[in-house]
Amino acid sequence: MKSYVLYPGCVMPTEQYAYEMSIREVFPILDIKLVDLKGFSCCGEPIKSVNQMLSLALSARNIALAEKEGLDIFAPCPMCHLALSESKRILDSDPKMNEKINKFLLDEGLSYSGKSDIVNTLDLLYDIIGIENIKKHVKKPLKDLKVATHYGCHLIRPSEIGRPDDSENPQKMEKILEAIDAKPLDYPEKLDCCGALLTTNLPESALTKTGQKLQKVQEHGFDAFIDTCPWCHRQYDAKQIKAGETVAIKLEVPVLYLTQLLGLSFGISNEKLGLDLNLSPVNKLIIGGK
Amino acid sequence: MGIVDLTSMGESQVELRNELNERLLRLQDEISDYCYQCAKCTSGCEAHKLLELEPHKIVALLKRGLIDEMVNSDVIWTCMSCFKCRERCPQKVAPVEVLFALKNMAVASGKQIPGNFTALLQSVLSTGLIQDIKSVTTSDNKSKSRSDLNLPEVSKPVDPAKFQMLISKLAVEKV
Repeated sequence: MKSYVLYPGCVMPTEQYAYEMSIREVFPILDIKLVDLKGFSCCGEPIKSVNQMLSLALSARNIALAEKEGLDIFAPCPMCHLALSESKRILDSDPKMNEKINKFLLDEGLSYSGKSDIVNTLDLLYDIIGIENIKKHVKKPLKDLKVATHYGCHLIRPSEIGRPDDSENPQKMEKILEAIDAKPLDYPEKLDCCGALLTTNLPESALTKTGQKLQKVQEHGFDAFIDTCPWCHRQYDAKQIKAGETVAIKLEVPVLYLTQLLGLSFGISNEKLGLDLNLSPVNKLIIGGK
Repeated sequence: MGIVDLTSMGESQVELRNELNERLLRLQDEISDYCYQCAKCTSGCEAHKLLELEPHKIVALLKRGLIDEMVNSDVIWTCMSCFKCRERCPQKVAPVEVLFALKNMAVASGKQIPGNFTALLQSVLSTGLIQDIKSVTTSDNKSKSRSDLNLPEVSKPVDPAKFQMLISKLAVEKV
């Protein structure tokens, strides 16, 4: 069993509880132990537009906290994962910046050393646990459930910083979904952005981006839309009805976290996976054979 | 330390603004050598169709040194940081990074920050997180808190005063 410090970020632990619940259910089954730590803060990515230095230092601070435990870090949110990875890259390659940031961290008795790796949900499932291991735990195969994947921009770009999957043709989610017998299909809008980062200053435009993508997903006839980002998920799931209004159609697309769908295929109950917290019509899904 | 001090142009931020200016000039130098205005960035830009952001023009304006004009424009705030421009540029220019620098500059110059960024910052300053811990509503309209869902207490800074000190020191620090 390998242990990771769970770095929850902001959106997941303050509102997107279904992601956290399904993560806490699924990973122990796959022999991954999650360690909770006190003291974390925002990763800084959402305030990068205001002050990049602040963003960089907040990430370094969070990494330093986890390093004290001598463990690698699991950041399920792609935004956090990018912020932490970028901070690590800068501090590992720029000794001056490293020194400067460490001076700040000293006030809280912390120091950044660069020992800890930073992984995301996809890294864990595909590269560390592996497809064959996932297959062993499937109790209720999803029997040709036609699913659309949504990776989220921060999970795959910029590749220079080292992202969990390919920037133009990501396939790891597809491979994971095939392992539980679902049927992921390609579609032209797969890499389109959800618009979530405009919510702070242009909320209507953010919803329009969400609505435009979901409209296409609905037209293509998918059974479900699968994501791994709490920001994207909030747009596609919680705000689905409002997003539909921006494109003047009634959207009825079941939206689930990848970890929720995995959990269902492992035979975990709807309640434990937080399925009643999804506000999109997930009750349309019939799991375990139609 | 209030949010106004963090984001407005007090005396202490002259240095920060100078530093940001240097950073933009550095970007200007680099870009002038490489960008040949193929507009591949704009063709893939997520904010282009909806909000008329044209990253190749941002780069062209930077090449011409029209930094103040861009800092004063609302268009820099339409970027949704999808990073497609940075990923796809054949010359490894990153318009998204130019936009981040311009937005940082606008903030350091004491311009009105659009939307809820101020509330977001205020929340990070007081609790460490961008928003308060919420109760959520289930699909059959029941309210649930974290403890109702058997989730552990949320991780946040243990000593808020020390954390605030760190942020206030950082906010005026050079990039």
